[in-house]
Amino acid sequence: MKPVTDAALLFRRYLTQLLRNPVFLVVGFATPILYLALFTPLLRHLAGAPGLPSGNVLDLFLPGILALLAYATGAGPGFSTVFDLRAGVIERLRVTPASRFAILAGPVLASMLLMFVFDLVLVLAGWGFGFGVHVPGLALLGLLLALMMATTAAFSITVALLSGEINGVAAVINGLNLPVLLLGGVLLPIALGPAWLRVAAHFDPLYYTVAAARVLAAGTLTGPAVWQAFAVLVPLCAAVLGWATTVVRRAVA
Amino acid sequence: MPDVITVTGLRKRLPGRGGAVDAVRGVSLDVARGEIFGFLGPNGAGKTTTLRMLTTLLPIDGGQATVAGLDVRRQPGQVRRRIGYVSQLGGADDLATGRENLMLQGRLYGGSRAAVASRVASVLDVLGLSGFADRRVRTYSGGQRRRLDVALGIVHQPEVLFLDEPSTGLDPQNRAHLWQHIQALREQGTTVFLTTHYLDEADVLCDRIVIIDHGTVVAGGTPRELKQQVAGDAIVVVLRDADAARQAAAALRGQPEVRDVSAEHAVVRLYASDGAAALPGLLRLLDAGGLAVRSLGLSEPSLDDVFLRQTGRSLRDTGQPAQPGQPAAAGPARAVA
Repeated sequence: MKPVTDAALLFRRYLTQLLRNPVFLVVGFATPILYLALFTPLLRHLAGAPGLPSGNVLDLFLPGILALLAYATGAGPGFSTVFDLRAGVIERLRVTPASRFAILAGPVLASMLLMFVFDLVLVLAGWGFGFGVHVPGLALLGLLLALMMATTAAFSITVALLSGEINGVAAVINGLNLPVLLLGGVLLPIALGPAWLRVAAHFDPLYYTVAAARVLAAGTLTGPAVWQAFAVLVPLCAAVLGWATTVVRRAVA
Repeated sequence: MPDVITVTGLRKRLPGRGGAVDAVRGVSLDVARGEIFGFLGPNGAGKTTTLRMLTTLLPIDGGQATVAGLDVRRQPGQVRRRIGYVSQLGGADDLATGRENLMLQGRLYGGSRAAVASRVASVLDVLGLSGFADRRVRTYSGGQRRRLDVALGIVHQPEVLFLDEPSTGLDPQNRAHLWQHIQALREQGTTVFLTTHYLDEADVLCDRIVIIDHGTVVAGGTPRELKQQVAGDAIVVVLRDADAARQAAAALRGQPEVRDVSAEHAVVRLYASDGAAALPGLLRLLDAGGLAVRSLGLSEPSLDDVFLRQTGRSLRDTGQPAQPGQPAAAGPARAVA
Protein backbone atom coordinates (compact mmCIF):
# COMPACT_ATOMS: atom_id res chain seq x y z
CA MET A 1 0.00 0.00 0.00
CA LYS A 2 1.62 3.15 -1.28
CA PRO A 3 0.02 5.62 1.20
CA VAL A 4 1.05 3.41 4.14
CA THR A 5 4.68 2.91 3.06
CA ASP A 6 4.97 6.60 2.17
CA ALA A 7 3.51 7.61 5.53
CA ALA A 8 5.97 5.27 7.26
CA LEU A 9 8.90 6.80 5.36
CA LEU A 10 7.83 10.34 6.14
CA PHE A 11 7.03 9.40 9.74
CA ARG A 12 10.61 8.25 10.13
CA ARG A 13 11.99 11.37 8.54
CA TYR A 14 10.00 13.64 10.85
CA LEU A 15 10.72 11.63 13.98
CA THR A 16 14.45 11.64 13.23
CA GLN A 17 14.28 15.38 12.81
CA LEU A 18 12.49 15.85 16.13
CA LEU A 19 14.97 13.64 17.95
CA ARG A 20 17.89 15.60 16.46
CA ASN A 21 16.47 18.79 17.89
CA PRO A 22 17.54 18.81 21.56
CA VAL A 23 15.76 22.08 22.36
CA PHE A 24 12.48 20.58 21.25
CA LEU A 25 12.97 17.50 23.40
CA VAL A 26 13.92 19.44 26.53
CA VAL A 27 11.03 21.87 26.18
CA GLY A 28 8.65 19.06 25.24
CA PHE A 29 9.43 17.10 28.40
CA ALA A 30 9.76 20.12 30.68
CA THR A 31 6.47 21.82 29.80
CA PRO A 32 4.03 19.23 31.17
CA ILE A 33 6.21 18.68 34.22
CA LEU A 34 6.27 22.42 34.84
CA TYR A 35 2.50 22.62 34.56
CA LEU A 36 2.18 19.94 37.18
CA ALA A 37 4.85 21.34 39.46
CA LEU A 38 3.61 24.92 39.30
CA PHE A 39 -0.16 24.48 39.26
CA THR A 40 -0.69 21.57 41.61
CA PRO A 41 0.33 23.47 44.78
CA LEU A 42 -2.00 26.28 43.75
CA LEU A 43 -4.93 23.97 43.17
CA ARG A 44 -4.38 21.96 46.32
CA HIS A 45 -6.18 24.64 48.34
CA LEU A 46 -9.09 24.67 45.95
CA ALA A 47 -10.09 21.05 46.40
CA GLY A 48 -13.71 20.91 47.55
CA ALA A 49 -14.30 24.58 46.63
CA PRO A 50 -17.46 25.37 44.60
CA GLY A 51 -17.30 23.70 41.19
CA LEU A 52 -14.40 21.50 42.14
CA PRO A 53 -14.63 17.98 43.46
CA SER A 54 -12.84 17.01 46.61
CA GLY A 55 -10.07 14.46 46.63
CA ASN A 56 -6.69 14.50 44.95
CA VAL A 57 -6.39 17.61 42.74
CA LEU A 58 -4.34 15.62 40.27
CA ASP A 59 -7.38 13.53 39.41
CA LEU A 60 -9.01 16.74 38.21
CA PHE A 61 -5.99 18.51 36.88
CA LEU A 62 -3.84 15.88 35.20
CA PRO A 63 -6.44 14.79 32.61
CA GLY A 64 -6.79 18.46 31.64
CA ILE A 65 -3.04 18.72 31.18
CA LEU A 66 -3.11 15.62 28.97
CA ALA A 67 -5.78 17.26 26.81
CA LEU A 68 -3.78 20.49 26.74
CA LEU A 69 -0.71 18.55 25.67
CA ALA A 70 -2.67 17.01 22.81
CA TYR A 71 -3.64 20.46 21.63
CA ALA A 72 -0.16 21.94 22.11
CA THR A 73 1.72 19.07 20.38
CA GLY A 74 -0.55 19.61 17.41
CA ALA A 75 0.87 23.08 16.86
CA GLY A 76 4.40 21.72 16.34
CA PRO A 77 3.96 20.25 12.86
CA GLY A 78 2.54 23.60 11.72
CA PHE A 79 5.73 25.39 12.64
CA SER A 80 8.01 22.78 11.12
CA THR A 81 5.89 22.83 7.96
CA VAL A 82 6.76 26.50 7.55
CA PHE A 83 10.46 25.65 7.79
CA ASP A 84 10.03 22.82 5.29
CA LEU A 85 8.15 25.13 2.98
CA ARG A 86 10.90 27.75 3.19
CA ALA A 87 13.61 25.17 2.57
CA GLY A 88 11.74 23.79 -0.46
CA VAL A 89 11.20 20.40 1.21
CA ILE A 90 7.41 20.48 0.77
CA GLU A 91 7.76 21.38 -2.89
CA ARG A 92 10.30 18.62 -3.38
CA LEU A 93 7.93 16.10 -1.81
CA ARG A 94 5.00 17.32 -3.87
CA VAL A 95 6.86 16.63 -7.12
CA THR A 96 7.44 13.01 -6.05
CA PRO A 97 4.60 10.50 -6.46
CA ALA A 98 4.41 10.32 -2.63
CA SER A 99 0.85 9.98 -1.40
CA ARG A 100 -0.52 13.44 -0.57
CA PHE A 101 -2.14 12.02 2.54
CA ALA A 102 1.21 10.57 3.64
CA ILE A 103 2.89 13.98 3.31
CA LEU A 104 0.43 15.08 5.97
CA ALA A 105 0.23 11.89 8.02
CA GLY A 106 4.00 11.43 8.47
CA PRO A 107 4.54 14.49 10.67
CA VAL A 108 1.19 14.08 12.44
CA LEU A 109 1.94 10.49 13.47
CA ALA A 110 5.52 11.25 14.50
CA SER A 111 4.37 14.08 16.77
CA MET A 112 1.67 11.79 18.10
CA LEU A 113 4.21 9.19 19.14
CA LEU A 114 6.15 11.83 21.05
CA MET A 115 2.93 13.09 22.62
CA PHE A 116 2.28 9.61 23.98
CA VAL A 117 5.79 9.48 25.41
CA PHE A 118 5.20 12.81 27.17
CA ASP A 119 1.79 11.57 28.34
CA LEU A 120 3.37 8.47 29.80
CA VAL A 121 5.96 10.52 31.68
CA LEU A 122 3.21 12.74 33.01
CA VAL A 123 0.97 9.89 34.12
CA LEU A 124 3.86 8.09 35.84
CA ALA A 125 4.94 11.28 37.59
CA GLY A 126 1.33 12.01 38.62
CA TRP A 127 0.97 8.46 39.89
CA GLY A 128 3.84 9.13 42.24
CA PHE A 129 1.90 12.08 43.65
CA GLY A 130 -1.38 10.29 44.18
CA PHE A 131 -3.03 10.37 40.75
CA GLY A 132 -5.30 7.35 40.44
CA VAL A 133 -4.30 5.28 37.38
CA HIS A 134 -7.10 3.37 35.64
CA VAL A 135 -5.58 1.59 32.68
CA PRO A 136 -8.70 0.91 30.51
CA GLY A 137 -9.89 4.48 30.95
CA LEU A 138 -6.47 5.86 30.08
CA ALA A 139 -6.29 3.62 27.01
CA LEU A 140 -9.57 4.98 25.69
CA LEU A 141 -8.42 8.47 26.63
CA GLY A 142 -5.31 7.85 24.52
CA LEU A 143 -7.53 7.35 21.50
CA LEU A 144 -9.38 10.56 22.22
CA LEU A 145 -6.10 12.47 22.67
CA ALA A 146 -4.86 11.07 19.38
CA LEU A 147 -7.96 12.45 17.65
CA MET A 148 -7.57 15.84 19.31
CA MET A 149 -3.89 15.99 18.44
CA ALA A 150 -4.41 14.91 14.83
CA THR A 151 -7.12 17.55 14.41
CA THR A 152 -4.91 20.35 15.74
CA ALA A 153 -1.88 19.13 13.80
CA ALA A 154 -3.74 18.89 10.48
CA PHE A 155 -5.16 22.34 11.17
CA SER A 156 -1.77 23.87 11.99
CA ILE A 157 -0.14 22.26 8.93
CA THR A 158 -2.89 23.61 6.70
CA VAL A 159 -2.55 27.10 8.15
CA ALA A 160 1.20 26.83 7.55
CA LEU A 161 0.73 25.76 3.93
CA LEU A 162 -1.75 28.52 3.27
CA SER A 163 0.10 31.36 4.97
CA GLY A 164 3.62 30.18 4.19
CA GLU A 165 5.21 32.14 7.00
CA ILE A 166 6.00 31.73 10.66
CA ASN A 167 4.14 34.91 11.58
CA GLY A 168 0.94 33.66 10.02
CA VAL A 169 1.05 30.35 11.86
CA ALA A 170 2.09 31.99 15.13
CA ALA A 171 -0.72 34.53 14.90
CA VAL A 172 -3.39 31.89 14.34
CA ILE A 173 -2.05 29.42 16.92
CA ASN A 174 -1.40 32.04 19.60
CA GLY A 175 -4.66 33.80 18.87
CA LEU A 176 -6.56 30.56 19.41
CA ASN A 177 -4.55 29.50 22.46
CA LEU A 178 -6.26 31.60 25.09
CA PRO A 179 -9.90 31.07 24.08
CA VAL A 180 -9.36 27.37 23.42
CA LEU A 181 -7.59 26.80 26.75
CA LEU A 182 -9.95 28.94 28.78
CA LEU A 183 -13.14 27.58 27.26
CA GLY A 184 -11.72 24.08 27.37
CA GLY A 185 -11.68 24.32 31.14
CA VAL A 186 -8.15 22.98 31.38
CA LEU A 187 -6.99 25.17 34.22
CA LEU A 188 -10.27 26.26 35.80
CA PRO A 189 -13.60 24.44 35.45
CA ILE A 190 -15.87 26.24 33.04
CA ALA A 191 -18.75 25.47 35.39
CA LEU A 192 -17.54 28.43 37.46
CA GLY A 193 -18.30 30.81 34.61
CA PRO A 194 -21.51 32.61 33.63
CA ALA A 195 -24.04 31.02 31.31
CA TRP A 196 -22.75 32.62 28.10
CA LEU A 197 -19.26 31.30 28.78
CA ARG A 198 -20.64 27.81 29.35
CA VAL A 199 -22.50 28.06 26.04
CA ALA A 200 -19.40 29.33 24.22
CA ALA A 201 -17.41 26.39 25.61
CA HIS A 202 -19.56 24.02 23.59
CA PHE A 203 -17.92 25.38 20.43
CA ASP A 204 -14.48 24.43 21.69
CA PRO A 205 -13.42 20.85 20.85
CA LEU A 206 -10.95 20.95 23.72
CA TYR A 207 -13.88 21.40 26.11
CA TYR A 208 -15.26 17.98 25.17
CA THR A 209 -11.82 16.42 25.33
CA VAL A 210 -11.15 17.78 28.80
CA ALA A 211 -14.57 16.76 30.12
CA ALA A 212 -14.18 13.24 28.73
CA ALA A 213 -10.57 13.03 29.91
CA ARG A 214 -11.67 13.60 33.51
CA VAL A 215 -14.35 10.92 33.32
CA LEU A 216 -12.09 8.43 31.58
CA ALA A 217 -9.16 9.04 33.91
CA ALA A 218 -11.47 8.29 36.81
CA GLY A 219 -12.05 4.87 35.26
CA THR A 220 -15.56 5.38 33.84
CA LEU A 221 -15.65 4.18 30.24
CA THR A 222 -19.18 5.22 29.39
CA GLY A 223 -21.27 8.26 30.07
CA PRO A 224 -22.40 11.34 28.17
CA ALA A 225 -19.08 13.19 28.38
CA VAL A 226 -17.27 10.26 26.72
CA TRP A 227 -19.59 9.64 23.79
CA GLN A 228 -20.09 13.36 23.25
CA ALA A 229 -16.34 13.85 22.94
CA PHE A 230 -16.06 11.08 20.34
CA ALA A 231 -19.16 12.33 18.55
CA VAL A 232 -17.55 15.76 18.21
CA LEU A 233 -13.96 14.75 17.52
CA VAL A 234 -14.34 11.90 15.04
CA PRO A 235 -16.17 13.96 12.39
CA LEU A 236 -14.11 17.06 13.19
CA CYS A 237 -10.84 15.21 12.77
CA ALA A 238 -12.05 13.66 9.51
CA ALA A 239 -13.17 17.04 8.18
CA VAL A 240 -9.90 18.80 9.05
CA LEU A 241 -7.79 15.96 7.62
CA GLY A 242 -9.85 16.07 4.42
CA TRP A 243 -9.37 19.82 4.13
CA ALA A 244 -5.66 19.51 4.84
CA THR A 245 -5.20 16.80 2.18
CA THR A 246 -6.97 18.99 -0.37
CA VAL A 247 -4.63 21.85 0.42
CA VAL A 248 -1.53 19.64 0.10
CA ARG A 249 -2.85 18.30 -3.20
CA ARG A 250 -3.57 21.72 -4.59
CA ALA A 251 -0.96 24.33 -5.29
CA VAL A 252 0.56 26.10 -2.36
CA ALA A 253 2.47 29.37 -2.47
CA MET B 1 13.70 12.65 -32.19
CA PRO B 2 10.22 12.83 -30.64
CA ASP B 3 9.44 15.81 -28.47
CA VAL B 4 9.48 14.96 -24.80
CA ILE B 5 7.83 18.21 -23.76
CA THR B 6 5.22 20.05 -25.79
CA VAL B 7 3.66 23.24 -24.54
CA THR B 8 0.98 25.19 -26.39
CA GLY B 9 -0.50 28.51 -25.34
CA LEU B 10 0.27 28.00 -21.66
CA ARG B 11 -1.26 30.63 -19.38
CA LYS B 12 -1.16 31.45 -15.71
CA ARG B 13 -2.71 34.24 -13.73
CA LEU B 14 -1.24 34.73 -10.27
CA PRO B 15 -2.58 36.80 -7.41
CA GLY B 16 -0.22 39.70 -6.82
CA ARG B 17 0.10 42.67 -4.52
CA GLY B 18 -1.67 45.08 -6.82
CA GLY B 19 -4.27 42.63 -8.18
CA ALA B 20 -3.89 39.53 -10.33
CA VAL B 21 -0.92 39.38 -12.70
CA ASP B 22 -0.73 37.46 -15.97
CA ALA B 23 2.55 35.75 -15.15
CA VAL B 24 2.55 33.46 -18.20
CA ARG B 25 0.74 34.66 -21.32
CA GLY B 26 0.56 32.02 -24.00
CA VAL B 27 3.92 30.27 -23.87
CA SER B 28 4.50 27.59 -26.53
CA LEU B 29 7.61 25.45 -26.87
CA ASP B 30 8.86 21.97 -27.71
CA VAL B 31 11.74 20.12 -26.16
CA ALA B 32 13.31 17.18 -28.00
CA ARG B 33 14.37 14.03 -26.20
CA GLY B 34 17.91 14.14 -24.91
CA GLU B 35 18.61 17.83 -25.29
CA ILE B 36 19.49 20.49 -22.78
CA PHE B 37 16.81 23.08 -23.20
CA GLY B 38 17.29 26.56 -21.74
CA PHE B 39 14.55 28.87 -20.64
CA LEU B 40 16.26 32.25 -20.54
CA GLY B 41 14.85 35.49 -19.24
CA PRO B 42 15.21 38.18 -16.59
CA ASN B 43 13.89 37.72 -13.06
CA GLY B 44 10.12 37.87 -13.00
CA ALA B 45 9.72 36.92 -16.67
CA GLY B 46 7.59 33.87 -15.86
CA LYS B 47 10.28 31.18 -16.00
CA THR B 48 9.66 29.65 -12.61
CA THR B 49 5.88 29.88 -12.98
CA THR B 50 6.07 27.95 -16.26
CA LEU B 51 8.37 25.38 -14.71
CA ARG B 52 6.06 24.91 -11.73
CA MET B 53 3.13 24.30 -14.04
CA LEU B 54 5.09 21.70 -16.02
CA THR B 55 6.13 19.94 -12.81
CA THR B 56 2.51 19.67 -11.54
CA LEU B 57 3.10 22.12 -8.69
CA LEU B 58 0.82 24.83 -10.01
CA PRO B 59 -2.53 24.35 -11.74
CA ILE B 60 -2.55 25.33 -15.42
CA ASP B 61 -5.01 28.13 -16.21
CA GLY B 62 -5.01 27.77 -19.98
CA GLY B 63 -3.28 25.94 -22.81
CA GLN B 64 -1.85 22.45 -23.19
CA ALA B 65 1.23 20.81 -21.76
CA THR B 66 2.52 17.29 -22.17
CA VAL B 67 5.60 15.91 -20.48
CA ALA B 68 6.97 12.49 -21.45
CA GLY B 69 3.87 12.00 -23.59
CA LEU B 70 1.50 12.59 -20.67
CA ASP B 71 -1.00 15.39 -20.23
CA VAL B 72 0.15 17.42 -17.24
CA ARG B 73 -3.37 18.49 -16.36
CA ARG B 74 -5.02 15.07 -16.62
CA GLN B 75 -2.23 12.75 -15.48
CA PRO B 76 -0.19 14.67 -12.91
CA GLY B 77 0.55 11.49 -10.95
CA GLN B 78 2.01 9.75 -14.01
CA VAL B 79 4.03 12.86 -14.89
CA ARG B 80 5.55 12.96 -11.40
CA ARG B 81 6.93 9.44 -11.81
CA ARG B 82 8.86 10.45 -14.91
CA ILE B 83 10.31 13.80 -13.93
CA GLY B 84 12.84 15.17 -11.51
CA TYR B 85 12.69 18.71 -10.25
CA VAL B 86 15.35 20.82 -8.55
CA SER B 87 13.86 24.06 -7.30
CA GLN B 88 15.80 27.21 -6.57
CA LEU B 89 15.51 26.39 -2.90
CA GLY B 90 16.82 22.86 -3.37
CA GLY B 91 14.71 21.17 -0.77
CA ALA B 92 17.24 19.01 1.04
CA ASP B 93 16.61 18.32 4.69
CA ASP B 94 19.17 20.22 6.78
CA LEU B 95 19.08 17.95 9.79
CA ALA B 96 19.45 14.76 7.77
CA THR B 97 22.58 13.50 6.04
CA GLY B 98 23.00 13.56 2.30
CA ARG B 99 22.51 9.81 2.12
CA GLU B 100 19.37 9.90 4.29
CA ASN B 101 17.90 12.59 2.06
CA LEU B 102 18.57 10.51 -1.04
CA MET B 103 17.31 7.27 0.50
CA LEU B 104 14.00 8.89 1.43
CA GLN B 105 13.64 10.47 -1.99
CA GLY B 106 14.42 7.21 -3.79
CA ARG B 107 12.04 5.18 -1.66
CA LEU B 108 9.18 7.63 -2.21
CA TYR B 109 9.43 6.61 -5.86
CA GLY B 110 8.76 3.07 -4.74
CA GLY B 111 12.11 1.29 -4.97
CA SER B 112 13.08 -1.40 -2.50
CA ARG B 113 15.57 -0.47 0.19
CA ALA B 114 18.39 -2.45 -1.41
CA ALA B 115 17.76 -1.15 -4.92
CA VAL B 116 17.57 2.44 -3.71
CA ALA B 117 20.69 2.07 -1.56
CA SER B 118 22.80 0.95 -4.51
CA ARG B 119 21.37 3.67 -6.75
CA VAL B 120 22.07 6.27 -4.04
CA ALA B 121 25.65 5.09 -3.74
CA SER B 122 26.18 5.49 -7.47
CA VAL B 123 24.53 8.94 -7.58
CA LEU B 124 26.68 10.07 -4.65
CA ASP B 125 29.72 8.82 -6.50
CA VAL B 126 28.82 10.45 -9.82
CA LEU B 127 28.21 13.83 -8.21
CA GLY B 128 31.32 13.65 -6.06
CA LEU B 129 29.40 13.56 -2.79
CA SER B 130 30.57 10.22 -1.41
CA GLY B 131 33.15 11.81 0.89
CA PHE B 132 30.53 13.52 3.03
CA ALA B 133 27.41 11.48 2.29
CA ASP B 134 26.99 10.70 5.97
CA ARG B 135 27.45 14.23 7.23
CA ARG B 136 24.41 16.37 7.94
CA VAL B 137 23.45 18.65 5.07
CA ARG B 138 23.71 21.64 7.40
CA THR B 139 27.50 21.32 7.21
CA TYR B 140 27.66 21.30 3.38
CA SER B 141 29.19 24.12 1.35
CA GLY B 142 27.10 25.89 -1.29
CA GLY B 143 28.50 23.81 -4.13
CA GLN B 144 28.11 20.52 -2.25
CA ARG B 145 24.54 21.37 -1.35
CA ARG B 146 23.69 22.21 -4.95
CA ARG B 147 25.11 18.92 -6.14
CA LEU B 148 23.00 17.14 -3.52
CA ASP B 149 19.94 19.01 -4.82
CA VAL B 150 20.71 17.71 -8.30
CA ALA B 151 21.26 14.22 -6.87
CA LEU B 152 17.78 14.41 -5.29
CA GLY B 153 16.41 15.26 -8.71
CA ILE B 154 17.99 12.29 -10.48
CA VAL B 155 18.03 9.52 -7.86
CA HIS B 156 14.98 7.89 -9.49
CA GLN B 157 16.44 8.19 -13.02
CA PRO B 158 13.81 10.52 -14.47
CA GLU B 159 13.24 10.93 -18.19
CA VAL B 160 13.17 14.70 -17.81
CA LEU B 161 15.03 16.76 -15.25
CA PHE B 162 13.79 20.28 -14.51
CA LEU B 163 16.37 22.63 -13.01
CA ASP B 164 15.31 26.04 -11.78
CA GLU B 165 18.25 28.48 -11.82
CA PRO B 166 20.73 25.70 -11.04
CA SER B 167 23.87 27.79 -10.70
CA THR B 168 22.55 30.81 -8.85
CA GLY B 169 24.81 31.63 -5.92
CA LEU B 170 27.65 29.35 -7.01
CA ASP B 171 31.22 30.53 -7.53
CA PRO B 172 32.71 30.13 -11.04
CA GLN B 173 34.52 26.90 -10.20
CA ASN B 174 31.40 25.26 -8.78
CA ARG B 175 29.34 26.49 -11.71
CA ALA B 176 31.73 24.90 -14.19
CA HIS B 177 31.66 21.71 -12.14
CA LEU B 178 27.85 21.69 -12.13
CA TRP B 179 27.72 22.30 -15.88
CA GLN B 180 29.86 19.21 -16.43
CA HIS B 181 27.42 17.15 -14.41
CA ILE B 182 24.47 18.50 -16.40
CA GLN B 183 26.23 17.71 -19.66
CA ALA B 184 26.97 14.22 -18.37
CA LEU B 185 23.24 13.73 -17.73
CA ARG B 186 22.48 14.54 -21.34
CA GLU B 187 25.03 11.99 -22.45
CA GLN B 188 23.13 9.38 -20.46
CA GLY B 189 19.96 10.30 -22.32
CA THR B 190 18.22 12.50 -19.76
CA THR B 191 16.39 15.48 -21.17
CA VAL B 192 17.25 18.60 -19.16
CA PHE B 193 14.98 21.63 -19.00
CA LEU B 194 16.61 24.49 -17.15
CA THR B 195 15.78 28.09 -16.43
CA THR B 196 18.49 30.67 -16.14
CA HIS B 197 19.07 34.38 -16.27
CA TYR B 198 22.75 33.85 -17.00
CA LEU B 199 23.68 34.38 -20.63
CA ASP B 200 26.86 32.37 -20.48
CA GLU B 201 25.03 29.45 -18.89
CA ALA B 202 22.47 29.33 -21.68
CA ASP B 203 25.20 29.77 -24.26
CA VAL B 204 27.61 27.14 -22.99
CA LEU B 205 25.19 24.54 -21.76
CA CYS B 206 22.05 24.58 -23.86
CA ASP B 207 21.38 22.89 -27.18
CA ARG B 208 18.37 25.09 -27.69
CA ILE B 209 16.92 28.02 -25.83
CA VAL B 210 13.77 30.04 -25.65
CA ILE B 211 13.92 33.63 -24.45
CA ILE B 212 10.98 34.71 -22.32
CA ASP B 213 10.03 38.19 -21.19
CA HIS B 214 6.85 39.41 -19.50
CA GLY B 215 5.32 35.96 -19.76
CA THR B 216 5.73 35.51 -23.51
CA VAL B 217 8.33 33.87 -25.69
CA VAL B 218 10.27 36.53 -27.60
CA ALA B 219 12.75 34.31 -29.45
CA GLY B 220 13.80 30.69 -29.75
CA GLY B 221 16.39 28.48 -31.43
CA THR B 222 19.92 27.26 -30.90
CA PRO B 223 22.16 29.86 -29.26
CA ARG B 224 24.01 30.14 -32.59
CA GLU B 225 20.85 30.66 -34.65
CA LEU B 226 19.58 33.26 -32.24
CA LYS B 227 22.79 35.21 -32.34
CA GLN B 228 22.97 35.06 -36.13
CA GLN B 229 19.42 36.25 -36.44
CA VAL B 230 20.28 39.40 -34.54
CA ALA B 231 22.96 41.58 -35.94
CA GLY B 232 25.60 39.22 -37.15
CA ASP B 233 29.10 39.76 -35.85
CA ALA B 234 30.19 43.01 -34.31
CA ILE B 235 33.20 44.64 -36.02
CA VAL B 236 35.22 47.40 -34.41
CA VAL B 237 37.72 49.41 -36.51
CA VAL B 238 40.08 51.90 -34.86
CA LEU B 239 41.45 54.65 -37.14
CA ARG B 240 43.91 57.53 -36.79
CA ASP B 241 41.46 60.15 -35.54
CA ALA B 242 37.81 61.17 -35.38
CA ASP B 243 37.96 62.72 -38.84
CA ALA B 244 39.25 59.53 -40.41
CA ALA B 245 36.60 57.57 -38.51
CA ARG B 246 33.84 59.75 -39.98
CA GLN B 247 35.18 59.21 -43.49
CA ALA B 248 35.53 55.49 -42.93
CA ALA B 249 31.96 55.26 -41.60
CA ALA B 250 30.63 57.09 -44.64
CA ALA B 251 32.48 54.70 -46.98
CA LEU B 252 31.39 51.59 -45.08
CA ARG B 253 27.72 52.58 -44.95
CA GLY B 254 27.49 52.00 -48.66
CA GLN B 255 28.41 48.33 -48.36
CA PRO B 256 25.50 45.87 -48.68
CA GLU B 257 26.82 43.34 -46.14
CA VAL B 258 27.10 45.75 -43.20
CA ARG B 259 24.50 47.25 -40.89
CA ASP B 260 24.22 49.78 -38.08
CA VAL B 261 27.49 51.63 -38.77
CA SER B 262 28.37 54.21 -36.14
CA ALA B 263 31.45 56.37 -35.54
CA GLU B 264 32.60 57.69 -32.21
CA HIS B 265 35.98 59.37 -31.70
CA ALA B 266 38.43 57.30 -33.72
CA VAL B 267 36.31 54.15 -33.55
CA VAL B 268 33.86 52.79 -36.09
CA ARG B 269 31.42 50.06 -35.06
CA LEU B 270 29.34 48.00 -37.42
CA TYR B 271 27.63 44.64 -37.75
CA ALA B 272 27.95 42.11 -40.55
CA SER B 273 26.07 38.81 -40.80
CA ASP B 274 29.33 36.97 -41.40
CA GLY B 275 32.03 39.20 -39.99
CA ALA B 276 35.01 37.02 -40.85
CA ALA B 277 33.98 36.85 -44.54
CA ALA B 278 33.26 40.57 -44.74
CA LEU B 279 36.54 41.73 -43.22
CA PRO B 280 38.92 41.44 -46.23
CA GLY B 281 36.56 43.43 -48.47
CA LEU B 282 36.08 46.12 -45.86
CA LEU B 283 39.83 46.43 -45.34
CA ARG B 284 40.44 46.77 -49.09
CA LEU B 285 37.78 49.48 -49.22
CA LEU B 286 39.42 51.49 -46.43
CA ASP B 287 42.84 50.98 -47.96
CA ALA B 288 41.61 52.31 -51.30
CA GLY B 289 40.29 55.40 -49.53
CA GLY B 290 43.71 56.01 -47.94
CA LEU B 291 42.43 55.38 -44.44
CA ALA B 292 45.01 53.66 -42.26
CA VAL B 293 43.57 51.07 -39.90
CA ARG B 294 45.23 51.01 -36.48
CA SER B 295 43.48 47.96 -35.13
CA LEU B 296 40.57 45.76 -35.91
CA GLY B 297 38.30 43.63 -33.73
CA LEU B 298 35.67 41.04 -34.47
CA SER B 299 33.35 39.63 -31.86
CA GLU B 300 30.35 37.36 -31.94
CA PRO B 301 27.10 38.87 -30.75
CA SER B 302 25.91 37.62 -27.39
CA LEU B 303 22.51 36.38 -26.33
CA ASP B 304 22.18 39.74 -24.63
CA ASP B 305 22.22 41.34 -28.08
CA VAL B 306 19.33 39.02 -28.95
CA PHE B 307 17.40 40.01 -25.90
CA LEU B 308 18.17 43.68 -26.44
CA ARG B 309 16.96 43.49 -30.00
CA GLN B 310 13.70 41.75 -29.02
CA THR B 311 12.78 43.73 -25.93
CA GLY B 312 14.76 46.98 -26.07
CA ARG B 313 16.23 46.07 -22.69
CA SER B 314 19.40 44.37 -21.60
CA LEU B 315 19.21 41.08 -19.78
CA ARG B 316 22.22 42.02 -17.72
CA ASP B 317 20.59 44.93 -15.97
CA THR B 318 17.26 43.21 -15.54
CA GLY B 319 14.30 45.49 -15.92
CA GLN B 320 16.36 48.52 -16.90
CA PRO B 321 16.29 50.01 -20.38
CA ALA B 322 19.58 49.58 -22.23
CA GLN B 323 21.86 52.60 -22.15
CA PRO B 324 21.99 54.21 -25.58
CA GLY B 325 25.50 54.38 -26.96
CA GLN B 326 26.71 51.65 -24.63
CA PRO B 327 27.42 48.54 -26.62
CA ALA B 328 25.60 45.44 -25.58
CA ALA B 329 27.80 43.05 -23.68
CA ALA B 330 29.91 41.28 -26.25
CA GLY B 331 30.42 37.56 -26.44
CA PRO B 332 33.84 35.96 -26.50
CA ALA B 333 36.01 38.41 -28.41
CA ARG B 334 38.35 37.25 -31.14
CA ALA B 335 41.18 39.59 -31.88
CA VAL B 336 41.85 39.70 -35.59
CA ALA B 337 44.53 42.31 -36.01
